[in-house]
Amino acid sequence: MLRRRDVMTVAATLAVGTPVRAFAQAGRAAAAGPILVTVFLRGGMDGLSMVAPVDDADYIAFRSPELRLLADGDKAALRLEGGPKTGDFRLHPEMAPLKALYESGRVALVHAAGISNGTRSHFAAQELTERGIGEPQDGARIKGGWVARWLESVGAARSPAFATSRGTPDSLALHPDTIAVADIRGGMNVPGGRSAARVLERLYGGDATGPIAAAGRRTLAGIRLIDSRLRAPDGKVAPYQPANGAAYDDTEIGRGLQAVARVIKMDLPIRAFCVDMDGWDTHENQPPRFAALAGQLARALGAFHDDLRERAAGVVLVAMSEFGRRLRSNRSNGTDHGHGGVMIVSAPGIRGGRIHGTWPGLASEMLDKGVDLAMTSDVRSVLAEVMAGPLRTPQAPAVVFPGFKPTRVGLA
Amino acid sequence: MALDTRTRQALSKLGFGPTAADLAEVGRIGLDAWLMRQLRPPADDGCGERIAAAHYRLKYKAMAPPDVDEDRPIAVISAPIQEHWAAVEKNLPMPERQFFRHAVALATLIRAAHSPWQLRELLVDFWHNHFNVNAAGDATVAVALPTYDRDVIRAHALGNFREMLEAVATSAAMQVYLNNRSSRGGAANENYARELFELHTLGRPAYLNALYTRWREVPGALMGRPQGYIDQDVYEAARAFTGWTIEDGAVLARRVRLANTGRFTYVETWHDPYQKRILATEIDPFQPPQSDGRRVLDLVAEHMATARYVCGKLCRRLVSDNPSDKLVGDVARVWMDNRRAPDQIARTVEAIARSDEFRRALGTKVKRPLELFASFVRATGIPMVATTALLGELDGSGQRLFGWGPPTGHPDEQGYWLSSNAMRRRWTLLLGLADNAWGAGLPQAAEAIAAQPTVAAAVTAANRTLLGTEPDARLVGAITAGLGIDPKAPLKGRGDAPQVARRLLSWCALSTPFQVR
Repeated sequence: MLRRRDVMTVAATLAVGTPVRAFAQAGRAAAAGPILVTVFLRGGMDGLSMVAPVDDADYIAFRSPELRLLADGDKAALRLEGGPKTGDFRLHPEMAPLKALYESGRVALVHAAGISNGTRSHFAAQELTERGIGEPQDGARIKGGWVARWLESVGAARSPAFATSRGTPDSLALHPDTIAVADIRGGMNVPGGRSAARVLERLYGGDATGPIAAAGRRTLAGIRLIDSRLRAPDGKVAPYQPANGAAYDDTEIGRGLQAVARVIKMDLPIRAFCVDMDGWDTHENQPPRFAALAGQLARALGAFHDDLRERAAGVVLVAMSEFGRRLRSNRSNGTDHGHGGVMIVSAPGIRGGRIHGTWPGLASEMLDKGVDLAMTSDVRSVLAEVMAGPLRTPQAPAVVFPGFKPTRVGLA
Repeated sequence: MALDTRTRQALSKLGFGPTAADLAEVGRIGLDAWLMRQLRPPADDGCGERIAAAHYRLKYKAMAPPDVDEDRPIAVISAPIQEHWAAVEKNLPMPERQFFRHAVALATLIRAAHSPWQLRELLVDFWHNHFNVNAAGDATVAVALPTYDRDVIRAHALGNFREMLEAVATSAAMQVYLNNRSSRGGAANENYARELFELHTLGRPAYLNALYTRWREVPGALMGRPQGYIDQDVYEAARAFTGWTIEDGAVLARRVRLANTGRFTYVETWHDPYQKRILATEIDPFQPPQSDGRRVLDLVAEHMATARYVCGKLCRRLVSDNPSDKLVGDVARVWMDNRRAPDQIARTVEAIARSDEFRRALGTKVKRPLELFASFVRATGIPMVATTALLGELDGSGQRLFGWGPPTGHPDEQGYWLSSNAMRRRWTLLLGLADNAWGAGLPQAAEAIAAQPTVAAAVTAANRTLLGTEPDARLVGAITAGLGIDPKAPLKGRGDAPQVARRLLSWCALSTPFQVR
């Protein structure tokens, strides 16, 4: 018999969003060990607008007051203790929630961090950073993204990873199971209801070959894992209730970190989460754009830490960008592609409340190619310390960055 | 390979897939004649009437009442930029400016579904990605988009690359998106110059900055033919383009402003006039207006690295994710040989379409959402009323038309289109289109399918409609399970036969053969 329910219009089903309860699998083991969350600030975040020595003569000389952090006035930057003794290091005035995390010891900053390769191309620099390699040709020898290799090194090669980007980020390249969903507030059901789900299960299931079938299987598995846990008993997507009064903004980074926190609380065997935040390529009209982004990032980080306070011991977060920006501003009231930048590390048990790394200074002879903040801490050195320390995977760095000799940053 | 299958393949790779009428036409005139016509389309694509009849539902809360809720005709996109430009200046609400992106996107859907010049439509999508601008992220780019789409991308999609490059460089959309309009001599803005080299022309493989720090070290430089570029070339090119800007009302001097029309202009006093060296070519100081920038465009357009990079991208789009070096090399030679020809791109595309590798590459590319949408609409005879709801669905599909943030354009590799999010949206798109969820119209092919005697015969008819082939056992099994009935059960005469028929179309389209091209 043809059941009428099965041929109800798709439009109606789409609107109602039938959950696929039959698929829900209970009792999968939760992640064994601390969880890694990476935040990628895409476009080249101007580290010298986030954290900088406001009294540095070269900083003052090369940038108009609008394009640098200031010691006083109504937009005075926030003073940071624990920075290099050579200057008055301060944080962007919109980033008070980050300052609080820093002062609590939970968060450390690494300045003059970046890649060893001198590329000023976004896409080359993002690829090197996310693949965790020094030179493009290393990609022939070292496969996939660094997060994918870390998952492999901790025995989670076949466990899902979660990304809030539109596609799979390069840091998870070659990881076979990434659930990429920008926003889970609407749930992630199978469209078309049970009948379509049955078709899809058989169409892509079992021994079906090819990339479409593989992607179909992976997607259905991701839906089984997460969608049922987003829903109330009546099948509707339950609105998320962050803990401890945490409030996420409706911004890319706010939605992303909110989704990550929500999935972390599901206690699934997911050990790696990758979040994207776009918009940092500020060649023009930088001051208001940077201020907005910095505020969004700091507020989202603040909310994320409030929300996950009870789980803080098991979560490690690292934020990075592909490069910093030019010391000298351009005449579009912006800055062009540079080199060294700032990384943010939030983890239990680290030497927080400090600015780590070696500050190379901004004198012309200290600049990379005479124009940009030099890189003194390789991103991989920072990540290696995070792996060996708070992630409790001391075996990982040698596997994730084969042939790379980390230098000490001082986080742990 | 059966002729019908070859025809379907060619029309799926060189366009958005065949309609029943296309198949009949190619049967009559032959694939070769079809290709030759497609390579030289007339300017008028016959979609004017449909575009004139289309509306975008513009709805927002105004700052002062009354609120706006109207069906705005999209036909205004055919006006020149100065007629749209007021939307930038008047400080209108965001939806008023984004209207221009939505209008161009709706026209794009109409043309993808209905234009007989399918190859041009496919290449328009290619070039919009190659010369990406983000109209969703910047309202000024959105206002400039109708002109960019019409006079820059469409006008040159099968034409000459050097001419296209200058049309892009002087367009308001690119001037705003990559900030060249605010670049000034003294400390030039490098954004456009860098992406010109890296994304528009020579490409990342030719960025040799990690290997060489001085221009004369680049192999070939001392003979005036450097193999690639380094940061010094970017800095110098940025200087060359200072003064290239648009009429946006910027201040020139005390009480003197530029006009405010959105059209290109050149401001000599903003130009850095001194000598430059770009790609090992010296440019003397104080050249005539725009001469420095044009010289850069000549140099990059005629560079061998550009031929390889752009032809590699064309092959990737038209053939497979990993075209062979041999194919790219062969095609790059055609590109170089025709670099001064007005139909350089058409000749290049013809070389790709006539290659053995193209013929062998059946089902090697995962369709993008726009391709999936248009091929389904065309195969099933959906009338394709362009609606705001449909556009909203496509915006979430992973291919937001004219709304990709970084200047790379959407990735052209299958991994991106097969993320879990993208997969769910592919399913939603096909299921919803078959059931007219967004008001695009019902699939006319469903009528004949509903008239089949049994469910099994209807599955066969649905699959033949989409792919011209018999359904395989897995598909039949999956559909039987989905319906929960015996395939031998009668269909014709059932009250719900039309719904079943529509659903069969979408389910057949979920199978791998329809998901690839």
